Amino acid sequence: MTPQTTNNLAFNASPILEAKYLTRSFGGLVAVNKVSFVVNNNEIFGLIGPNGAGKTTLFNLITGLIQPSSGQLIYKGDKIIKLRPHQIAAKGIARTFQNIRLFGELSALENVIIGRHIHIKSGVFNGVLNIPPAPIEELKTKHKALELLDLVGLSDRAFEKAQNLSYGDQRRLEIARALALEPQIILLDEPAAGMNPNEKQYLSTFIRQICTQFNLTIILIEHHVPLVMGLCDRIAVLNFGKLIALGNPAEVRSDPAVIEAYLGAE
Amino acid sequence: MDITLFLQQFLNGLSIGSAYAIFALGYTLIFSILGIINFAHGAIFTLGAYFTYALIGGAFGFSGLLANAALPVQLPFALALILGSTLAGFVGVAVERFAFRPLRRKGSDSLLTVVSSLGVAVVIVNVIQYLVGAESYTFPANIYGNLPASFNFGTVEKPVPIRSIQVVIFCVSVTILTILTYLINRTKYGKAMQAVAEDSTTASLLGINSDRFIVWTFFISSFIAGLAGSLVGSSVSIRPTFGIEFGLKGLAVIVLGGLGSIPGAVLGGFVIGLVEAFVPADYSGYKDAVAFGILFMMLLIRPQGLLGRRFVQKV
Repeated sequence: MTPQTTNNLAFNASPILEAKYLTRSFGGLVAVNKVSFVVNNNEIFGLIGPNGAGKTTLFNLITGLIQPSSGQLIYKGDKIIKLRPHQIAAKGIARTFQNIRLFGELSALENVIIGRHIHIKSGVFNGVLNIPPAPIEELKTKHKALELLDLVGLSDRAFEKAQNLSYGDQRRLEIARALALEPQIILLDEPAAGMNPNEKQYLSTFIRQICTQFNLTIILIEHHVPLVMGLCDRIAVLNFGKLIALGNPAEVRSDPAVIEAYLGAE
Repeated sequence: MDITLFLQQFLNGLSIGSAYAIFALGYTLIFSILGIINFAHGAIFTLGAYFTYALIGGAFGFSGLLANAALPVQLPFALALILGSTLAGFVGVAVERFAFRPLRRKGSDSLLTVVSSLGVAVVIVNVIQYLVGAESYTFPANIYGNLPASFNFGTVEKPVPIRSIQVVIFCVSVTILTILTYLINRTKYGKAMQAVAEDSTTASLLGINSDRFIVWTFFISSFIAGLAGSLVGSSVSIRPTFGIEFGLKGLAVIVLGGLGSIPGAVLGGFVIGLVEAFVPADYSGYKDAVAFGILFMMLLIRPQGLLGRRFVQKV
């Protein structure tokens, strides 16, 4: 978990996601202003900045929930702007939300199973009549979902309605559901929000673990500075929609523009 | 009440109740996925009946644009039923595409979509009236082929005759209910539909094409409405407005069962059907009053309906 070793990883990795002059304005407000960066395969990429800096807007752009006013997004060599959210998800980009968005009426297990949607091949006919491969596939899907619940430590809450889970459990369930998609990139929007120091420590280890285990690229928005500094290979700093710094934690920490805009304000 | 009469009314109630149930299921599917009551549902029920009537080669009357017209083909009833309901399904998809989706894209208040659906209902009824006139048409008596006019569910001494069409309605409805239950509970489409119903944005971020699910929901519910319309229409007679009246009854069914609850729609359908069947013949003109009376009682005692969830303010 030391920055040195992880930085070496980032050096010889290939780019997986690239933003080129990405811009999005809402009326007169430019929420994201000509932002360019490259995220490498298998790195943990932090996104920090004061409130309203455009971090979540950037996530919404990457996942296709909103369209950029101008600029380009390239994922594994393909342009992905203009694609609909479900198409981008199917290409392998998953996310979680700052304000958790689970299917509250469904069980934890069902939430994860829905995350498997694009990987289930059985059609209506086989499913309704319960003829092969549907029953086997259903078992496999359930098995996979239970494995993921186990991974996030929720196997004993599998049949609990999502809305009845504790706040921390809901956050972990959302990550399990995102992992169910078998994504290449996972966008985590303030995963440590509302967690106590112990939970934050655990989360940090957990993110590092899934990154290695599933060969994931992780982009995370986080306000808790020590967590970001300790966890991320590289960090991008946004302020008023503009990218003001990009580099490894040590570089970002000593960047005068960052100190003035963000860290100094703490 | 003597036992044979009781049995007869009970079976009749089950039959019409099953038609209410599948009709209400269409309302419920759309309600749960879009959060609106689709008032065009009743009009599509009517349209399905007219499609089927036309496809079996039924002739239209002396008024309307298509006066005295009839299709050159005369399909068997079963085939006409499926084809007519499929056409009704496509109309439902068109309604979604042109009357609902533009509003959804603009993020309009769902009340506007409800008003839009009312508009669609009025347009459909008027188009039918314009094309084939306002008079009622009766399906030919021989459409069920070799089926006898009625089945006896009693003994030879104490007959309990039930019209064949009632039996057909019941069998078809139960088949549809079974297929849909399996579809929703067993396939990935059912799960995805629940996901879209709860939060379509999040569903799309999990790779689920929400719009396609909404289109399918409209197709399925309109297909079922067409099916119910054709079957019920063939047992009585069809008029341009008969689906609207049926549609209002459907509202009573879903409120009774619990808005958005699929088992609730089914239960509500059977309850209303049975209660109506036991309204004494002398008071049969008050059947609707009884159905809506139950509705009001329900709203007072248990506003969320028999199987509905209590409305909780989301925070």
